[in-house]
Amino acid sequence: MTNERYLIVSYFVCAALSIALGLLAYLYLRRPFAGLADAAPGRSLPTMLKRLFPCGFVLPALLGFVTVSYRSCDRTTYTEIVASRGYLIEKNQEQISSILLYILAAVVFWNLVALLILRFAHDGGDGPKARQLDR
Amino acid sequence: MSLELSAFLILLAISVAVPTILFLLLRSSLNDLLRHTLRLQAGVTFYLRSFLLVLYLAALSAAIGTSFDLKPDSRFMEYVWKGAEGVSSTLEKTLWFVAIYMVLITVLVATLKVKDDE
Repeated sequence: MTNERYLIVSYFVCAALSIALGLLAYLYLRRPFAGLADAAPGRSLPTMLKRLFPCGFVLPALLGFVTVSYRSCDRTTYTEIVASRGYLIEKNQEQISSILLYILAAVVFWNLVALLILRFAHDGGDGPKARQLDR
Repeated sequence: MSLELSAFLILLAISVAVPTILFLLLRSSLNDLLRHTLRLQAGVTFYLRSFLLVLYLAALSAAIGTSFDLKPDSRFMEYVWKGAEGVSSTLEKTLWFVAIYMVLITVLVATLKVKDDE
C-alpha cells in the first residue's frame, strides 16, 4: 500500500472510529443518564437533555478527530506529509488520543450537568419528581 | 514482532492495568459514598460508569498518543526510555483526571449533604 493510499484509508477509518467511540460512550451512559434526566425539573428539560446527550458525545469525538492537523513546522506541503509512513502513523495515534481526550472532556461536562440536575431535583420539594427520588 | 510494536503493546497493557487497579480499589467505597448521598439509583450508576470511563479514557489517550517512531538503529534502552515516557504521561493524565473527578464528587456530596442537613 502506498503512503497516499494509507493516508486516505487511515483518515476515514479514524473518522469512523471517532463516531463509533462517541456512540459507545453514549450507549454506556445512556440508561443511567435517562434515569437522572427524568428527575430534572420541568416537562421539556428532561426530553431536551436526553436528545442532546448523544450529540454531547459524538460531536466532541469528531471535534477531537478534526483538531489534529497533518501540517506541521517541518512538513507544510502534501508531498512532504505523504513522504513518511512513520509520520502518518504518528498523526493517526495523535488523532485517536485527541478523540479519547475530547470524549473524556464530554464525560466530565455531563457529570457537571448531572450534578446540577441532582441539585435542582433535590430542591424540588413535594413534586412528583421529588417523590420519585425518595422511593 | 518488532521492538516498536512490543514496546507499544507493553505500554498499552500498563495503561489498561493502571485504571483497572484504581477502579477496583475505589469502586466499593465510591459506591457506598454515592449510595449515601444520592437518592436516585440511576445517579449512582451514572457516576460509577463515568468514573470508569474517565480512568480508561485518560490512560488510553496518553498511551496511544505516545509514538515509538525511533531510528531503525535504535538500541533496546531507547525503546525502554520511550516506554517510560509513555507510562509517565499515562500516569500524569490519569491522576489529573482522577483529581478533577474527585473534586466533582466532593462538590456533589457537599451540595447534596448540605441540603439534606438543612
